[in-house]
Amino acid sequence: MTYIPPEILQPIQQLVYRSCLFMNDESWKDYLALCDPQSFRYRVTNYSPEIRKDQVWADRDFKAMKASFDLLPRHNSDRSKLTRQVSIYTVDYDDGAREANVVSALTVYRTQLDGVNSYIDSGQTSLYAVGLYKDRIKVTDDAAKLMERVVQLDTRQLDIGSHKPF
Amino acid sequence: MASIPVPDRVAAPPSKDSDVTGRTGKQWLLKPELPDSHVVSTRIYTDPEIFQEEVEKIWSRVWLPVCHESELPEPLDFRTTGLAGNKPIVVVRGEDNRIRAFLNICPHRSNLIVRSPAGNLRKPEPSGNANHMTCMYHGWQFNAKGQCVEIPRAQSYQGRVCKEASGLRQLRTEVGYGGMVWVNLDDGCGPLADFIGPALDPMLEQLETEPLEIFHYQKGIVRTNYKLFFDTSREFYHDYLHFHNRQTSMVKSGYFEQKYTTHPNGHSVTGFTTVDYSSHSDTGTRLLTFPGLPRNGWRHTTLFPASAYNIRTSCLRVNVMIPLSDRETLVEIRGFGLKRDTPGEREQRVKDYVSVWGPFGWNLHEDLLCAQVQTQAIQQGSGAEWNVIAREEENKVHDEVCVRSYYAEWARLMGRNPAEPR
Repeated sequence: MTYIPPEILQPIQQLVYRSCLFMNDESWKDYLALCDPQSFRYRVTNYSPEIRKDQVWADRDFKAMKASFDLLPRHNSDRSKLTRQVSIYTVDYDDGAREANVVSALTVYRTQLDGVNSYIDSGQTSLYAVGLYKDRIKVTDDAAKLMERVVQLDTRQLDIGSHKPF
Repeated sequence: MASIPVPDRVAAPPSKDSDVTGRTGKQWLLKPELPDSHVVSTRIYTDPEIFQEEVEKIWSRVWLPVCHESELPEPLDFRTTGLAGNKPIVVVRGEDNRIRAFLNICPHRSNLIVRSPAGNLRKPEPSGNANHMTCMYHGWQFNAKGQCVEIPRAQSYQGRVCKEASGLRQLRTEVGYGGMVWVNLDDGCGPLADFIGPALDPMLEQLETEPLEIFHYQKGIVRTNYKLFFDTSREFYHDYLHFHNRQTSMVKSGYFEQKYTTHPNGHSVTGFTTVDYSSHSDTGTRLLTFPGLPRNGWRHTTLFPASAYNIRTSCLRVNVMIPLSDRETLVEIRGFGLKRDTPGEREQRVKDYVSVWGPFGWNLHEDLLCAQVQTQAIQQGSGAEWNVIAREEENKVHDEVCVRSYYAEWARLMGRNPAEPR
């Protein structure tokens, strides 16, 4: 394990945690500000033991991610709040490329609002998904930027699914 | 076609009490003055007795697609699945390359035999030999033809129980219509082709020209009666639910001219159309297609009692609903491309697929959300009494003829009138 100086490590950690906070708050614009528009790619993947294949359940570049955020209010969605909790497992930093690969544990909770019967269910929180964030992050003199995020899910049953990304 | 007159008792002021601007309780409960074919009692979605009858009279007698041949490409590959009525199924490709399906229950003490969702029988299990399905409980073994090949210490049965009489319950199985594996619990059923009839003819070129391959599998237990979710497949009046469809389809000329065709056995076909994907900023354009399908072409067939084939230009979706109870449905959804796809083509098909469908796609979430919420409103005692399926537009896209034809078939098999099911 290579030593990473705090002035490099802290912005990387902050980026991962802030990305969750912004998504939790549905501050999509702030989330996108953490991403590198040229290189950003967001994917949700899993391995399906049912078909014995790796699957991709979402695949968006920066433009598509922004378009999906912009379109959210136009679609009928389960507007239950999603809370993403992460713990960073590993940070591997390439000093030459000034890029870091970060692996974090991801847990997503869902607090019901209007996806079932709001009179009965709103306010209930349940575990919705578990998996990993696998991030590629570039570090510049000014900031750390998210180049790629793979949400590698262990959970493969998401009942009615979600318009909101993890 | 003559329109059905609006009854005065619905249109008239509901009460002498000027504060009551809606309908009174009595008016609300009145059955709409429509032919029985145009209205459904909500009881058919909520009554456990009717559900049990459906399992027996419908689900145990129809052909159902349970997996795809590409899920078990090699000899001794297996796939576990299930059918309504809590019936566990195992599908196995034999060493003779033939695909067979069995009830996944050991005839000895009724344990599940194969537990993994998929795999190959050559892989040794802790309690059993390779090449066989082995019940971990007492080590009884079955080959890929369902024959019992091993009973440990069988001599203690003194000949009263023997391998020859202890095979698995085999199910009628056929592979077809794009390589789907179909099973039927009814040993006396007719061939699959008789059941499907001409319903899949319009997309046979897409399904049969070359082998397909699965790239997407999604399942989820949705809190809904299977018929309520399936209703959303049977009519496109509900395109109002989908912003994506409003943008890409409803605004196109010709959209309202699409026609439905209803077929025997309760199946239905939606007329061919093309979709303008570029008008929805997130789903882009479609570059790939299926054999014989024009670019941006769309074909759609629903099969009674709860499966559907849906080709959106570059990808095929096949979904099947397996009811777990009157209020819970296991929804299984598969996405397919062509087996010969290059990695780049496959990646593009997957991108196209997940933009509309899949757990993070725009449309599927809306359909499931709607069915789930509707189920909340249609609970016993909730006050929901009638579902109206009375739109008539010469079988065009917002006609509800396919919902009516579905319930006509339901009535035929159940021997009950869905408008008056008691």
